[in-house]
Amino acid sequence: MKRRDFFKTTSLAGGGLLISTFIPLSCNVPAEQSVSWEPNFFLRIDTNNKITFICSRTELGQGTSTGLAMIVADELLIDLENLSIEFADGALEKYGDFQDTGGSNGIRLLWNPLREAMAVTREIFIMAAAQIWDMEPKDCYSEQGLVYDKSNDRKATYASLIYLAKTLPAPFEVKLRNASEYKYIGKPVIGKRIKTIVQGKYPYGIDVKLPNLVYAAIERCPVWEGKLVSFNDKKAREFPGVIDVMEVPSTEIQTSDFKGGVRPGVAILANNTWVALEAKKLLNVNWDLGPFAEKSDSDVEKELKEQLKKPKTIHSDFNNASELLKASNKKIVATYVSSYQANACMEPLNATAYHRGNIIEIWAGSQGPAMFRERIHELTGLPEAAIISHNLPSGGGFGRRFHSDYVEEAVLISQKIRLPVKVTWSREDTITTSKYHPFCVDSWEASFDKNNKIMAIGYQGTVSNTNGYRPYPYSLPMVHFNRLTENSGRLLPRSSWRSVFAHPWILSLECFIDELAATQKMDALSFRFELLKEAKVIEQLMEVWVGDNLYPKKLLRTLESVQKKSNWGNSGDGIFQGVACASYNTSYCSLVFDISLVDDMIKIHKATAVVDCGLIINPSKVKAQIEGSIIWGLTAALKSGITVKKGRVVQSNFHDYNLLRIDETPTIQVCLLESSDAPSGAGEVAVPVVAPALLNAIYAATGKRIRKLPVQNHAF
Amino acid sequence: MDNDNSMTLMVNGQHYNIECNKKMPLLWVLRDILELNGTKYSCGIGACGACTVHLDGQPVRSCSINVDSILDKEITTIEGLSKNAELDVVQQAWLKEDVPQCGYCQSGQIMSAAWLLKTNKDPSDKDIDEAMSGNLCRCGTYLRIRKAIENAASSMQ
Repeated sequence: MKRRDFFKTTSLAGGGLLISTFIPLSCNVPAEQSVSWEPNFFLRIDTNNKITFICSRTELGQGTSTGLAMIVADELLIDLENLSIEFADGALEKYGDFQDTGGSNGIRLLWNPLREAMAVTREIFIMAAAQIWDMEPKDCYSEQGLVYDKSNDRKATYASLIYLAKTLPAPFEVKLRNASEYKYIGKPVIGKRIKTIVQGKYPYGIDVKLPNLVYAAIERCPVWEGKLVSFNDKKAREFPGVIDVMEVPSTEIQTSDFKGGVRPGVAILANNTWVALEAKKLLNVNWDLGPFAEKSDSDVEKELKEQLKKPKTIHSDFNNASELLKASNKKIVATYVSSYQANACMEPLNATAYHRGNIIEIWAGSQGPAMFRERIHELTGLPEAAIISHNLPSGGGFGRRFHSDYVEEAVLISQKIRLPVKVTWSREDTITTSKYHPFCVDSWEASFDKNNKIMAIGYQGTVSNTNGYRPYPYSLPMVHFNRLTENSGRLLPRSSWRSVFAHPWILSLECFIDELAATQKMDALSFRFELLKEAKVIEQLMEVWVGDNLYPKKLLRTLESVQKKSNWGNSGDGIFQGVACASYNTSYCSLVFDISLVDDMIKIHKATAVVDCGLIINPSKVKAQIEGSIIWGLTAALKSGITVKKGRVVQSNFHDYNLLRIDETPTIQVCLLESSDAPSGAGEVAVPVVAPALLNAIYAATGKRIRKLPVQNHAF
Repeated sequence: MDNDNSMTLMVNGQHYNIECNKKMPLLWVLRDILELNGTKYSCGIGACGACTVHLDGQPVRSCSINVDSILDKEITTIEGLSKNAELDVVQQAWLKEDVPQCGYCQSGQIMSAAWLLKTNKDPSDKDIDEAMSGNLCRCGTYLRIRKAIENAASSMQ
């Protein structure tokens, strides 16, 4: 079944479908009192009154598990303190697209079905109590995990009602609670996991221990599309603690590049992680480096730029832009370049698999426990029902853990030895032989009439189309030309990377808008106001993942707010400001940087961000996401990036793939706009605006247009 | 393994008899042998701080220290940071400021901050920068780390 088809079915049926799957059709026989009840796939209630939220989403640090638990507590009417959280095994048949975690959709897509599922459960408990007390359900109510009789002080815990509740049919209609009744939603909640983390007790994938566990490290082909010719493992085998050395076969990258792409490699199997990592260094491997052995990122840049000179075809045309572009010879063109990036999650990739012949069990921190299960079925031929995909919390994901190669490796090794195997990537592995945010070249042009008025703009670059995740909000006519692609395939395999293609898209669009403002001798913010005031609502529901249309007025509201919050235009002597704004799916963000020049080096003083992400479930976590996104964007704008020479990644660890540090982090002010719209996601919207707002501030300070990321040396 | 590889380690006030390669870094002894998983592997070259522990009270990168070089030292990990209460004052501040996101680097962050506050009861911004700039966080929790350190400092006064 295509994932999208599944989504359509479940979204139409809402929580009701999920509920009814677990309601028995025959109600004649009361079930055993000692058995716990799962009224739906998100909840388990034990007879000792332990209530567990079974979180289908992955916890990567974004706080989704806490936010969803708050929703459960508010709709089921229980104390959040008494709610335990477990993570669901990968199960497409239970969760469809409510499980794999990406696109800032963790809470957004579950907002309705989860509330409906909890409301139905709550009402069934009320019906059960009413039946026992021989009264009408309308004369009962629930609160803090108890059902009360309105007329006197009779009460019953949810747990005590299980035996009857599980025999009752779901009501046809339930009333969701009003926003004014929420006890948790909208308030900052520090989840239980935070206490576990500060004690060093949070269980990540890399901490998995099993009886007879074999520890593995893999030497992978350093050039993408290369092949293994031969290897000498004599020295490696002599290293004390090494159990075996074996080849890891490559797997083909699939059309959906989330699957496949295991590089050919040689695995060391050992009695602990360190032995495996050390013995790997003693391998002598002979690679056929393949078609990319001589290719560098400079070649990619050159070939993408060459394509800009070829005749274009139109992908999509808004407001007759292609004709308006042709109608004048007065033009400007600006081409932006951004480097490869690694996700560099603090927890290196790792996965544990136990292939027992007829059953495969997987333990991994992943963003795709359901998709990975499907992939392991494709890879091994075992039915999905025989594959158990445990989903552990991740030490960061940012898109990289949406790609299954690291889990495939563990399964391929365990398949050969029928023992549990934990594959741990070294930091060097995650930098040199991973998957990457692609190298991007993105070019914009504009045509002007004889009065220097802008007629239209056109885009050609590495972004394939305009949509909810790389949106175009402005009224100015725009044409999206055919995409630029690397000759003979990607030099490095692609990974999703926080905000994905919005990063190059918004970088180039928002810098170009700044360039256009300068041609009109207009203030950068006022120019955007003009372009948004006239803009019409933009259809973007063609993709199932996108929850709503793009409302330029909402973007305008964030811009107007950031103008005030940042004290735009009055920031003080020696301080220069730059702005950028963007929507991302159904969230909106405007960002202003305050910078100065100190000895010709830029110093970033402050970032002011205004975000509209619909109803805010947990403001502490939403703010954390915006702060983190700005720091993420600054690393990409200012630090090294990934470069490639002769097919090999040049950087290898944090000494040369550096991340922003505490002493380089500016003051960040985050303002969350109030909204009663459905919650719409906060993990990515603030990433793509970072680089353009910074480059626009650099222009304001220096008069120089930087069109290439990362900004080298920061000197001007 | 031969007897030459037998060693005794003192971790969180407890003696452990272990047998392993003497060149094994302390980090991997803690994680794979003693099963004290709170100390994290992230870079292996002392460049990120995720594996920070205290050696006789001083913060060190446990990924870059051979176990046989520290047999006479007292090792404190995140599991042993809190001596009496459930949470140490630094851990309490981390909780109060809702610092962690993914949490993976936070054991190391907390161990670095605990040392700073032990030696400097009123750290300036610059002191915090110096003590903490060796600890990377990919989620970007730096602003809250700073606030938590300030919070812990004031609660200690």
